[in-house]
Formats: sequence, C-alpha cells, structure tokens
Amino acid sequence: MKKNKIIISFLFSVLIGIGVHTIYSYIYSAPAKASNIVPVFKGDANEFKYILTQDLKYWNDKVVQIKGKITYVDEYGILLNKNIFCQFDQNIDIPSNFLNNHIVIKGRVVGFDELLMEIKLNQCIIIQ
Amino acid sequence: MNRISLIIVLLFICIFCNAQKYYTRSGLTEFKASQIAFEPVEAINENTTVIFNINSGEVVAHVFIASFEFKNALMQEHFNENYMQSNLYPKGIFNGKINNFSKEKLNTISEFDLSGILTIREKEKNIKTKVKLKEVNNKIIVTSKFIIKPDYFDIEIPYVVREKIANQIQITLNYKLDEKK
Repeated sequence: MKKNKIIISFLFSVLIGIGVHTIYSYIYSAPAKASNIVPVFKGDANEFKYILTQDLKYWNDKVVQIKGKITYVDEYGILLNKNIFCQFDQNIDIPSNFLNNHIVIKGRVVGFDELLMEIKLNQCIIIQ
Repeated sequence: MNRISLIIVLLFICIFCNAQKYYTRSGLTEFKASQIAFEPVEAINENTTVIFNINSGEVVAHVFIASFEFKNALMQEHFNENYMQSNLYPKGIFNGKINNFSKEKLNTISEFDLSGILTIREKEKNIKTKVKLKEVNNKIIVTSKFIIKPDYFDIEIPYVVREKIANQIQITLNYKLDEKK
C-alpha cells in the first residue's frame, strides 16, 4: 500500500514537472526563424511577385523560397529581379561580383514597400 | 528651340532633385515599454524604409509592424494579433519634416527639430522631437528618441497585463541613409 502511494506520488510529480516545463516553454520560447519553417511557396521571383500582388495580406509573414537574379547588393541584403529586397538574417558579405548571378533565397515576407515599390523579405538565408 | 531648352532644363532639375534624396530599406526602429520588476517588453525592427529629401527636409518612414522582433514568441503574437492588429494595419507611417536642415552642419553631430504626423492603426498623432544627424562616409546617420502612448492610437491594454506594460513607450530611431541615385 505504501509502495503504491510512493509510485503514485512519483508519477504525479513527473506529470506536474512535464506540465510546468511545457507551459514554461510555450510562454518563454523565442519566435521561430524563417530558416526553420517550411516555405509555402517555392519558385521563380517573377512568378512570386505576380501571385503576391493578387492577395498581399495573405502573404504577409509567410515563408517563401524564391529564385531570381541579383540586381543590387548592399550591406544588409540583395535585390532580386529589381523589385524583391531580401534582407539577411545575419550580416553576410555579398561580393559585388555576385551581381547578375542567379540565387535561391528563403525568407519571410514583410510586405510591399510602397516608397520603393519593392516586395520586402527578412530573415533571409541563401539556399543555393 | 525654346521648348527643347525647357525640356533639357527640366531634365537636369529632375536629375538634381533625385540626387538630393537619401534613403534606407533597413532602418532600425526600436520600442521599449518595460516596467521595472517585470519581463522586458521591447522589440526591434530592422526593416524600416526611410526617404529623406535634403532639399526640403521632408522625411517619410514606413515601419512594417509585423517585423518587430521580440525575444518571446508569445509576446510577439499578442503584439501583432491583439494590440497592433498588424494584419489589418500592416504599417506605421511617419510623414514629417526636419526643420532648418542644412547638409553643411553634418560634419559634426548636429541636432534639428523634427515634426510630423505618425499614423498607426489609421490614427494620426502629431510628433515633435529632436533628431541628431551626422554625415559619415557619404551616409547620413539619423538618431532620435521620443515617447508615444498606446491611447494615441486607440490601443487598449487589457487590465490583466496593464501593470506589466509601461504607459509611456520609448521609440528609438537609428537610420543609416545612403544617397538615392
């Protein structure tokens, strides 16, 4: 009888521990990065631009993987096909001789920038 | 002949005007609404677009609300879904002017008056603050700090978390502007 009580108490404590850990993880976990999320779109940059303009709100915050030509490079990111700016998650030194090369990028859609007439992605990583 | 001259002059004016704008796609906008003794309520946004016309002093900035990054996923979710409704109102927009701006003063850190209208959740609020500018390696570095309150923009903080979120929210700007060619 005493043995059963000990086992029940132990199981109860383990359950409480798991519960506390789960709640703690849920409350204090860091936001997921784009690099760890499966993209909802994979394809050509021009095709993505076309479908994004059909329903801008749907694409906000979605992770996508696009292929395009590098048309501009700065210290924060690159411009694909002249109108999709991909800002890197970390500072990556992109040599200017990468210009006009094709690249595959994964990133999170921030929105459409009406000031510069560009689509903006952040947390970008180079896939290929 | 006169018409051709006029077109050429206008073309030069346009080129000149374009050369007088500075911009960034990756401006740093930060907010802090922390209360002492509670978990920090703060986030950074490194995707702010800013265009600054150095002839007129006019400044336009677009801040993408959903790209504010918190350390805590749950806090970020509440910020976007409950308080800012970033799906409905995806941007904060500032339209303003740096008064008495002169590029010649930028050899050292110079302070100017910045005034304009900040629009968040389609609610407008006049902002007046000081802004510091300096030119470094052909870039204009802009820094500023000012305070806003959630009720300026009809942001309701639930009673349960009211003690944990400061009523005065400190906004910090740090923009490195390149010449727009």
